[in-house]
Amino acid sequence: MKALHIAATGMSAQQMRVDTISNNLANMSTSGYNARRAEFADLHYQQFARAGSINASDGTVLPTGIQLGLGVRPAAVSMQIQQGALAQTNGDLDIAIEGKGFLSVTLPDGQAAYTRDGALKRTGDGLIVNSEGFEVTPGIVIPNDARSISINADGEIYAYFTGQVQPQLLGQLTLTGFANEKGLEAIGSNLFLETEGSGPGFDAPPGTDGLGTVRQGYLEESSVDPVREMTELIKAQRGYELNSKVITAVDQMMGATTQVR
Amino acid sequence: MDNATYVTLTRLSGLKREMQVIAHNIANTSTTGYRREGMVFSEFVVGGRGQDTSLSMALGNTRQTYQTQGELTQTNGNFDLAIEGDGFFQLETPQGLRLTRAGMFTPNAAGELVNMDGHLLLDAGGAPIFVPPDARSIVMSGDGTFSADGQPFAQVGLVQPVDPVSVTRAAGTLFVVDGDVEPVFQPRLRQGFLEGSNVDPMPEIARMIDVQRAYEQGQRLLEREDERIKNVIQTLGR
Repeated sequence: MKALHIAATGMSAQQMRVDTISNNLANMSTSGYNARRAEFADLHYQQFARAGSINASDGTVLPTGIQLGLGVRPAAVSMQIQQGALAQTNGDLDIAIEGKGFLSVTLPDGQAAYTRDGALKRTGDGLIVNSEGFEVTPGIVIPNDARSISINADGEIYAYFTGQVQPQLLGQLTLTGFANEKGLEAIGSNLFLETEGSGPGFDAPPGTDGLGTVRQGYLEESSVDPVREMTELIKAQRGYELNSKVITAVDQMMGATTQVR
Repeated sequence: MDNATYVTLTRLSGLKREMQVIAHNIANTSTTGYRREGMVFSEFVVGGRGQDTSLSMALGNTRQTYQTQGELTQTNGNFDLAIEGDGFFQLETPQGLRLTRAGMFTPNAAGELVNMDGHLLLDAGGAPIFVPPDARSIVMSGDGTFSADGQPFAQVGLVQPVDPVSVTRAAGTLFVVDGDVEPVFQPRLRQGFLEGSNVDPMPEIARMIDVQRAYEQGQRLLEREDERIKNVIQTLGR
């Protein structure tokens, strides 16, 4: 009985949906996190009687034939690219990106990774790094004697010094944009890597080439909507139960088959 | 001649197929753009030896695809499109033109809109849709016209098969059309929504119980028939 296996594909699909939902809910407070959603597609079809095959000697053809489906498969777990709400933190190195684009950081192996999490820090030498300690491109150093720093919408970082009226320009942050942001590969710690699917990233100053602007003193919150996740969870759980009912019914039918004699 | 057994057998194997269809529907309750499948049984008459004797068997030989509207779920995705009413999206696949109702698209590395399996979405003229990479906001109007920052750049082409019967299914919520397709008159699309599966679990479960009980009935009939023949052999062979 194929119905058993079909129901099993349905159960594992719903299982995967619950996995995705639980990951979203676990990341409800992760800054810069985008909610993910599991997407499904149906599996192959078995052809029993092809549509248009001859049904009788007088040439009558079957109008639709029989195609029996074999269940469901996960098609994608895609990111819902959405602007999260901005939370005011007043941290001088907390920045939120309004619009498209990612900050780029350099991993210890020299590879570039991309993030929307703008909770930046500085090292003992004054280098601007992300929470993991990876250098933020283009490697701006804040002098130790700077009184305060300010970052404008275009990502230009200015430092104020005691006894000086004019601020000093330290450098400008660059953002990286992608043709297909959903194609980026998540590697944890709010970081993404470029893939074939995302296309090559292009670097540009904030506010140009369709990229967003930066805002100092704010952090982008997670875009997970708890109400939506809960309704999805209810649907996934009921879907799981429905498929398990099919398994029970098929089991009983098989029981009846063995009792024929 | 043991006709009763054979007739019951056709019924039982048909029920097994129907069970498979139900399991497939239930497994796809969360599949974007999935269309519910049904099974139609027909009578299959075999002529007997005499004038008045004939034997009818049940044969599950046609299927039906229900094209009712599925529920729309808000996703806010820029390229999540839902069709309201008739029509299908056109996809270009290595096997040729395919239709689908699953409207989840994303730009690929070249900036063209593709579905989750990487098949190109086609516009009203049958060409791929290229999304300008530097567009700040992309908005689609109700008739499927995409505009970037207020400048229209493409219109999603919705079509429907001229002969609805010429449609068969393929994996990945795709439909294959054997004949011609025609553009939909006044297409209605919604951006930021996805059309879910049109499977309603309640009738499916009711059908499932129905099939299961019918199967058990058939099994009882086989059992009785077996006993009857045994009795005949015992009585006549005495």
